[in-house]
Amino acid sequence: MYLEVESLEKRYGHFAPSVSDLSFSLGQGELLGLLGPSGCGKTTTLRMISGLVQATSGKIKVGGQDVTGLPTYRRNMGVMFQSYALFPHMTIAENVAFGLQMRKARHADIAKRVESALAMVHLSGVAERKPRELSGGQQQRVALARALVIEPDILLLDEPLSNLDAKLRDNMRGEIRDIQQRLRMTTVFVTHDQTEAMAICDRIIVMNRGKLEQIGTPHDIYENPATPMVAEFVGRINRLEGQWRNDGAVAVGDSLIRAKDDGGTGRVLIMIRPHRIDLSASDAKSAVSPEENAINGTIRHVTYVGDTFQYEVATTGGLLHVEKATSSATDPFQPGDTVTLRWKTRDTLTFSTEVAG
Amino acid sequence: MLPTISRGLHALGIISIMMFLLAPVILVFPISFSADAHVAWPPSAWSTRWYVALLHNEEMVTAFRNSLVIAGCVTALTLVVAMPAAVALTRWKFWGRDALTSLFTAPLLLPSIVLGLAILVIFAGYGLVGSWPGVIIGHLVITLPYALRVLITGLSTMPAFVEDAAGTLGADPWQVFRRITLPLMTPALVASAALAFIVSFDEVVISLFIAGTQLKLLPVSLYHYVESWTDPLVAAVSALLVLGTLGIVLIVERAIGFGKAVSK
Ligand SMILES: Nc1ncnc2c1ncn2[C@@H]1O[C@H](COP(=O)(O)OP(=O)(O)OP(=O)(O)O)[C@@H](O)[C@H]1O
Ligand SMILES: [Mg+2]
Repeated sequence: MYLEVESLEKRYGHFAPSVSDLSFSLGQGELLGLLGPSGCGKTTTLRMISGLVQATSGKIKVGGQDVTGLPTYRRNMGVMFQSYALFPHMTIAENVAFGLQMRKARHADIAKRVESALAMVHLSGVAERKPRELSGGQQQRVALARALVIEPDILLLDEPLSNLDAKLRDNMRGEIRDIQQRLRMTTVFVTHDQTEAMAICDRIIVMNRGKLEQIGTPHDIYENPATPMVAEFVGRINRLEGQWRNDGAVAVGDSLIRAKDDGGTGRVLIMIRPHRIDLSASDAKSAVSPEENAINGTIRHVTYVGDTFQYEVATTGGLLHVEKATSSATDPFQPGDTVTLRWKTRDTLTFSTEVAG
Repeated sequence: MLPTISRGLHALGIISIMMFLLAPVILVFPISFSADAHVAWPPSAWSTRWYVALLHNEEMVTAFRNSLVIAGCVTALTLVVAMPAAVALTRWKFWGRDALTSLFTAPLLLPSIVLGLAILVIFAGYGLVGSWPGVIIGHLVITLPYALRVLITGLSTMPAFVEDAAGTLGADPWQVFRRITLPLMTPALVASAALAFIVSFDEVVISLFIAGTQLKLLPVSLYHYVESWTDPLVAAVSALLVLGTLGIVLIVERAIGFGKAVSK
């Protein structure tokens, strides 16, 4: 493992710790996403790794070497700040050259490397301009070039795309991934946007209130969330409260629901993603397979958002949200229609809310 | 029609306020070129005799030179002390930091006569009254809070994280200061230097208390001069002071305007 973080903790003053008991490790060339709601400690974690804040306790190792006590300027980590933090009094070329000058690179060498770094982020024409003469997207690419040109051991990106509009964000996201793959750069990418994290990360850590909730591949995080918080954070999801029965099903209101896990005791939280539920007119009777749940309900509310219809359906188990792709071929359901909801048992997530006994 | 009138009135208002504020300053110039033996308006004839007289007035020339030297020393010392203090007060985290900042900038609120008296009482015991170090220290009491205020503002309005960024690129704390912090705070440095210079140069009250009779300082000598004489020599001094101040303000304006242009 290339980057190892062991039981990292940070306390500011006497408040609850901003980050606590955080451990993970990254292989060389891996892109890790750090995902979580505002204030959960993502920036604090990144700043501890880069040495900009001192960890209260815990260890950080790079390539097997303990760097916890090293000051920032000895760590050789490229950091891209959310606000870019370009040096306003220097030209773009000088900004990018700064790290190389600090490393006492030779003059001719610096010029060459600055040029190729700027070319890499498609910004060759602006070397002599000042940061304030560039657009947000260009400034951001300068920040990336500046962080990459020093060939850091580890690249740390703190919400690098949050100041950009949606289209530019998608482009930059792809570009960052490309460059990261090309240079095989071990990278930590902080974001609070789950789509962004899913799209480019090899693995994702979901954090909440300073603690690691789950670490896994995007697929793991989405399909097998470890906690209700993760399930809710990485996409829209329905939640129903029920009670385990002895036969392995869950009683929710008047309905029985079968889940991926069968068996448990006590109260349980059931979660189902809205687009994994199928809707059909309730008179279309068909057999229910054992891998499927089916319950009846009445449409309460329909919202049209272009790509999808979002239905609110009152069922015997409770209110469920359902998403259906829009289509010109079929008419949407109307409020008041009675419908049957079907979904796979393996799409039914369960979280026990009390310990058996 | 109506907008024209209201705009006219507006302009008139501004002009009269400006006149009211600037009239004494402007009036000094014609009076300084008077040929009369007393300050009178309008002068009966024009000449440069009072500028010549000024050059031959040994006390004024000495006082002028002393004040310049003292203001220079005070400015240099102010920056040497205030800059590290401002960096410590804005960049380091320690207990009681805010209290210290308030304490250091508090003298701005004290009437200078109170300060002058207090300093006199203390300095008398150490034989500092009438001495160069005494005057310089006395002036520092006034200039340091000003400079500290300006520098603290300059440091705390610096773009976020640029110093952190320099650190991650391999710059040690000294390199960060020299390559990033210092250039970005140049406008604040120029402004506080100019402020310290002007404040020291025309400080009357403290100088009256501390300078005594041996060490001649321009504001004090001027003050004593007008007590016994009414000739336009003081107008000549004033005219030079106005020009000097204007010069400093222009330098600052250019430096800060220029500084703004390079920073943001
Ligand atoms: N310098 C500081 N002093 C005191 N508390 C701090 C400091 N920096 C951060 N915190 C606290 O630590 C917690 C985590 O902050 P952090 O900036 O790491 O969150 P984040 O996950 O990056 O949030 P965001 O998505 O809003 O950027 C917050 O509760 C914050 O108030
Ligand atoms: Mg943050």
